[in-house]
Amino acid sequence: MIRAEEPLIRVEGLHYTYQAGTPKPIPALRGIDLTVQAGEYVAVIGANGSGKSTLLRHFNALLLPTAGNVWVTKWNTRDTVHLRDIRSTVTMVFQVPDDQIVASVVEEDVAFGPENLGVPEDELHQRVDWALAAVGLTELRHRASRLLSSGQKQRLAIAAALAMQPRCLVLDEATAMLDPAGQTQVRKILHQLHQDGMTIISATHNMAEAVQAQRVVVLSEGRIAIQGDPRFVFAQEETLHALQLDVPYPTRMARMLATVIRDFPTDVLTVTELAEAISMHLGQPLELRPKPTTGVR
Amino acid sequence: MSRRTEFEFLGRVTIGQYLPTGSALHRLDPRTKLLVCLLLIAVVVASQSLLGIMLLLGAVLIGLALARIPLSFALSGLRAMLPYLLLLALLQTFAIPQYAANATVLWRWAMLTITDRSILAGILLIARFSVMVLGLSLFSFSTTTTELTHGIEHLLRPWQKLGLPAHELALTVNIALRFVPIIAEEAERLMKAQASRGADFGQGRNFIQRTRKLLPLLVPLFLVSLHRADNLIEAMEARCYLGGKGRTHLIHLQAHAADYLALAAAFALMALVIGLSTANADQLLWRLLSTYL
Ligand SMILES: Nc1ncnc2c1ncn2[C@@H]1O[C@H](COP(=O)(O)OP(=O)(O)OP(=O)(O)O)[C@@H](O)[C@H]1O
Ligand SMILES: [Mg+2]
Repeated sequence: MIRAEEPLIRVEGLHYTYQAGTPKPIPALRGIDLTVQAGEYVAVIGANGSGKSTLLRHFNALLLPTAGNVWVTKWNTRDTVHLRDIRSTVTMVFQVPDDQIVASVVEEDVAFGPENLGVPEDELHQRVDWALAAVGLTELRHRASRLLSSGQKQRLAIAAALAMQPRCLVLDEATAMLDPAGQTQVRKILHQLHQDGMTIISATHNMAEAVQAQRVVVLSEGRIAIQGDPRFVFAQEETLHALQLDVPYPTRMARMLATVIRDFPTDVLTVTELAEAISMHLGQPLELRPKPTTGVR
Repeated sequence: MSRRTEFEFLGRVTIGQYLPTGSALHRLDPRTKLLVCLLLIAVVVASQSLLGIMLLLGAVLIGLALARIPLSFALSGLRAMLPYLLLLALLQTFAIPQYAANATVLWRWAMLTITDRSILAGILLIARFSVMVLGLSLFSFSTTTTELTHGIEHLLRPWQKLGLPAHELALTVNIALRFVPIIAEEAERLMKAQASRGADFGQGRNFIQRTRKLLPLLVPLFLVSLHRADNLIEAMEARCYLGGKGRTHLIHLQAHAADYLALAAAFALMALVIGLSTANADQLLWRLLSTYL
């Protein structure tokens, strides 16, 4: 693997205003500085309207800054000559499953992106095969895309993004409309992709998903309020509450237990960690099955 | 689901449904079926000969049998349109006499006249529409929307060099067709939401009343559709869609011997029908019949 001498995404002094130049401008981003290194897993959280979607749309030039700059590797997103390069380096998965499927057959939808890139045919077939396998949809490749379940549709959307062979996958609340089983499946896929070296940026309201990231970026009213690894961010429960955000359930529970149990650790993030802390307190070490948090069916 | 009754009319229209019977006709190249269909429509419109149109009707019925489509199902689609067809035919019957010079008047009352010509015109109209409706039904019964769009794109691709947006047209058709069930779902959701707040979509006495009750749905439905279209555009842009230029293709259509055979048969039949029409075959037949009867 190449050593990343330059960040994959670099955001400097980013301002974005909707309806700029009209009597009613809506400032959505007000000065964001952010770098994402290749291979990172970043979760973006924040209350409704804090600017998550707006920020994410700058990462592949769907929106261009009102002020400031965004670079994807060495390309400035304002540089329209590199639009194809930028959008095939950073691909997006959106919230509503139905609204991002273009073709009416599963495999043809996966092929839509690389077809647009003019990928030669034999490679096209390889990419489709690989992307479908990565999300476990190989069996359904000839199905009508509208007959899939929401979870399957969202996996299809991920496959369609992967078929562009991006370096970075950006997801805007991609699990928001899925049932718990669907959410878990997508979370597992993201985890696996990250293990294989993909850079992942995911906006989410689901704290269990944010915990899986290496870095959590908290947005508030168009600015970055806090950022750091999940343990650092979720330790600041009061600040998060003020921003109308919750900490993960296991963290909250640990904090409750800490009010009655002396020295109970409050920096737990997952169910496993909570179970471990409780069993430690009871003096009976837990016999852990391999990785239950990410391996839940 | 009594709310579905509002879509009853649409539910009875069978055009646009796909019936996977796996017949030989289903396996034909969509380009073949598209060409034959277009040819059929052109010829049925152009042909002045009832005899020729009856031949086409026969051919379409044979096609339905080959595609293993139950005849009753195909006809039920036609039956839904029958009232409108009869109305049109009636209008036609009364509208014709002004233009026909050497027609025999059969019946006259005030401004209204019926001649032998006008009755023939009415019958022709019904026959034409029946062939068209059954022909298009047969096409849609045996062709998926995906095949249809691939067919359109492949047929138009040679003209791409002359500036015809083949891919864009095909994609437009594809997305329009794909969004029909989604919009229908959205309409149902809106109706339920409005009904729960007291709106009444119950059975009106007639078509116009029932339609009027649906009007409040149109604005929100339109807005929702625009919003969803916006989302789709964004998703397509994110996947580097910049128009048809420089695209490669996953799917390639392949014509087989059966396709050439079907095309040849269709062309022969159409030529025959055009021939019958130009040779005024109906008149010959008419004279033949009247001398013997
Ligand atoms: N197309 C638009 N036109 C005008 N204003 C918009 C538009 N999209 C978003 N905004 C506004 O910009 C601000 C940021 O919105 P954004 O969608 O980025 O927030 P978000 O964090 O993604 O929220 P959510 O959690 O609801 O998805 C909000 O005040 C919103 O009202
Ligand atoms: Mg959003």
